[in-house]
Amino acid sequence: MRMKRREFIRTALATGAAAWLPVGASEDSAFQLVDSNVSLFDWPFRKLPLDETSVLMEKLRSLGVGQAFAGSYEGLFHRDLPAVNHRLAKESTGVPELLPIGSVNPDLPAWREVLRSCAEDHEMRGIRLHPNYHGYTLDDPRFRELLERAAEIGLFVQLAATMEDRRTQNSIAAVPDVDLTPLPTVVAAVPGVRVQVLNWRPRMAELESMKDVSGIHFDTARVDGTDGIEQLQKVVSPDRVLFGSGAHFLIPEASLIRLMHESGLEEEILEKIAQTNSVRLRGGNPA
Amino acid sequence: MKIDGQFGLPSREELESYRIWDSYFTPSHSHPGKDGSSLLLADIEKSKRALEVGRFEKACFFAHVGIGTTTDAELETLLREKPELVLEPLDRYPDLLLGMIQMNGNDLASSLAALDQWLGDGPMLGVYFPGGGPGAMTCTHPNMEPLIEKIAELDGVIMQHTWFKTGGKQGPGESTPAELAELAAKFPDQKFLCAHAGGEWEQGIRAVRDSPNILIETSGFDATAGFVEMGVRELGAERIVFGSHLPSRSLGTELAKVTAAEIPEAARKQILGANFRALLAPAFRRKGRAV
Repeated sequence: MRMKRREFIRTALATGAAAWLPVGASEDSAFQLVDSNVSLFDWPFRKLPLDETSVLMEKLRSLGVGQAFAGSYEGLFHRDLPAVNHRLAKESTGVPELLPIGSVNPDLPAWREVLRSCAEDHEMRGIRLHPNYHGYTLDDPRFRELLERAAEIGLFVQLAATMEDRRTQNSIAAVPDVDLTPLPTVVAAVPGVRVQVLNWRPRMAELESMKDVSGIHFDTARVDGTDGIEQLQKVVSPDRVLFGSGAHFLIPEASLIRLMHESGLEEEILEKIAQTNSVRLRGGNPA
Repeated sequence: MKIDGQFGLPSREELESYRIWDSYFTPSHSHPGKDGSSLLLADIEKSKRALEVGRFEKACFFAHVGIGTTTDAELETLLREKPELVLEPLDRYPDLLLGMIQMNGNDLASSLAALDQWLGDGPMLGVYFPGGGPGAMTCTHPNMEPLIEKIAELDGVIMQHTWFKTGGKQGPGESTPAELAELAAKFPDQKFLCAHAGGEWEQGIRAVRDSPNILIETSGFDATAGFVEMGVRELGAERIVFGSHLPSRSLGTELAKVTAAEIPEAARKQILGANFRALLAPAFRRKGRAV
């Protein structure tokens, strides 16, 4: 599944999947969005317009997305995570834009094997965690061990702070947002770890505690307010904010319009947030 | 590297064709500033880029008018004594802004007087019933009925904050769409705007489905996919009204709910502007203004 940018563009051109590339795109010049926060399969609580992967991909391509980091909604509640990750990898096969992101739950037996399998069997670049759905906190020693192991085998870690506004969750499956308070201390103690917080609505007190921890990155899916992204990148640096749509539970255009039109950010910063930071996080050449 | 593209935003021509009238513009929504207007005006300035990018024609905000809708007693006095402060945003942005006033259901006498002052004799086009703060009153409370009668008499538009919150109401004065449906049943000739469609819109839409005089407003919750599609399916496009919730929400979140929805183009135009204009038409006529 590993594919460098040039390889990716070459494949897209060769397979005819390049109709969505910007006019004049070439191996050296194409600007392509990287969406760092997409999920495949069914949202557990309702049918969504982009449930089918082929339909989702058609939408993402139409928006100029050249690569999408794709987790699985099955990872929220399923306990057979090896099967979840296998289905995700299989669904991503033949879709060059998709970078599958495995689900790992350190509260389940044999999670270390699941982590190993993500890296070795599926050649994934990253994993996604849902501590609030999986029932552990970030000061749990297993979380730190998981980060250490992920760093050792070169996986980045996506930490979903929330999946749905707690006010609208199904009352029999309601979970609070993840308490991120321990995160800066844990990440700072694990050399080389790359963590991205997903779906978080920044709160200044917590942001202050994370702003100097370079291993923590953020996505834009739920960074709302007309100047929300502008303010976030100002506090934590434009190098640590990555475009993420939260699709397909969230409408992908929402975060995209916020970033590309509403933020008013300079082109150089937009390029970082929309593309190169994600390439760097996944472990590739940002050039 | 040249970054160029629409990136999910309709073209300028398309946006202009929608003739966007924003029913829920919330600059400094809970407090306009100690001096009566500075925070509000600053938030309008903050929103200008989004309003311009979205090619909005109009945006309707909700003014505090000194009837106890904030907890700041000095501000309340100031707004009563200097009504020109309430009018300042409308004076400064006459081509953009429309105004409604925030109601205090807990102070019936002051609210009734404010209706005469601001809707009857002033430029305001309707009212906003808040869901929190000292002015919040559950819309099934008996105090609401004389207020609705007066608003109807003045051809005012009614925006009622509503939420169905998992875990329960944020405060005793908050209203749900189901409660709004109870109120609306008593005034079948009066239209009501169900702000935020209840937030949890699958329940919200169902709760007002059989209340033909209730329209849902689209802002104030994440850009969850499928919302507008369900609204059109269950209510019809003629019962959905766009709101931006700017600047505390964003153009991306709120506009994309409508522009990215799988609905006919004609429905988009209804939702983004035509429905709100139709609601406002009686108030405009009363004031001798054209919509």
